[in-house]
Amino acid sequence: MRSRVMPKPSWNLEYLMWVFTRLSGLSIILFVVIGISAGLLMGARTQMDLGTLMRWGFFPNPNHVLDSDIPDLFLWTNGFWQVMQILVVFFAATHGFNGLRVVLEDYSSPGFWQVFTRFLIFLLWIFSTLVGIYVIISS
Amino acid sequence: MQVTLKIFRYNPEDGRKKHYDTFTLDADPTDRILDLLEQIKGSEDGTLGFRRACAHGVCGSDAIRINGVNRLACKVLVQDLKSRKVTIEPILGLPIEKDLIINMEPFFDHYRSVMPYFVNDDPPPSKERLQSPEDRERFDDTTKCILCAACSTSCPSYWVNEEYVGPAAIVNAHRFIFDNRDQAASERLEILNEQFGVYRCHTIFNCTDACPRDIQVTQAIGEVKKAIVNGRLD
Repeated sequence: MRSRVMPKPSWNLEYLMWVFTRLSGLSIILFVVIGISAGLLMGARTQMDLGTLMRWGFFPNPNHVLDSDIPDLFLWTNGFWQVMQILVVFFAATHGFNGLRVVLEDYSSPGFWQVFTRFLIFLLWIFSTLVGIYVIISS
Repeated sequence: MQVTLKIFRYNPEDGRKKHYDTFTLDADPTDRILDLLEQIKGSEDGTLGFRRACAHGVCGSDAIRINGVNRLACKVLVQDLKSRKVTIEPILGLPIEKDLIINMEPFFDHYRSVMPYFVNDDPPPSKERLQSPEDRERFDDTTKCILCAACSTSCPSYWVNEEYVGPAAIVNAHRFIFDNRDQAASERLEILNEQFGVYRCHTIFNCTDACPRDIQVTQAIGEVKKAIVNGRLD
């Protein structure tokens, strides 16, 4: 069967966020796999318990591994992991707040309350993401 | 065997609130729920309102909720039910006219909104517009829709928002979007790319379970989403 090509429908918020939700879901899984794999390569297998490794995997912040038997935190505190944490915060917060928007908009029609809830969710998303990034950079 | 039917009743003209009436009937295991409704209407309560036409699963007019799930009354046998106590209610998400009869107009408004008809502006050939069996197979599943509304009215997104076009409308759009003789696929994809198009589908699969023609409704909606993202009709 021959594939038919046609102009893509115009972009809109629903379209972009639908695509983003799929990509961010996969990205978060990828980040966790990177976090756990790198943690094991850096010695987690003998230096920390499974719970600590999981906490690190889901959010690679050095505070999560402070109480383990790592002799030197150097490998766990560099800029790469800060960037990873910022990416996790951005993708998770955007994914989550967009999910909240979708749930609320399932129950609402276009109009004042939909604009109002979108604006409120936007503010919460910006605030949470910026606070998260500030904590990562300053800790 | 004896079967007890608890039937939702509502008549806007008699001033009574919505309630349930219970009827106990003698039935054969091979009786259909529609037969029992006919039996009640014929010999117990002639005021019972329900729709029926062909009574053989083709016209789709007798979609109701049987023990909480959407089914055609003419396709469910007494022996198919786990219990001898059966609750019969109108399908959800559409205004109730009387008893089991609902107003289908909002459903058909959504159906009409997706251009559910063949569009081809080329001059018609002398005989017919030929199509290979493979190309026909691409949308064969969605040609089976009988517009009974069982899928749309089983969808929680459809229950809570009357602006959502619903699974049935998307299925009927799919039937023409993937027909390689049709020329209006991009217009239909534009319509379904709106806020109340495909994006209100959260893949709950109630529609697929409810479809009396076994159409893979959720898969069809997924294929439309994929066509919107890819701009390609594979």
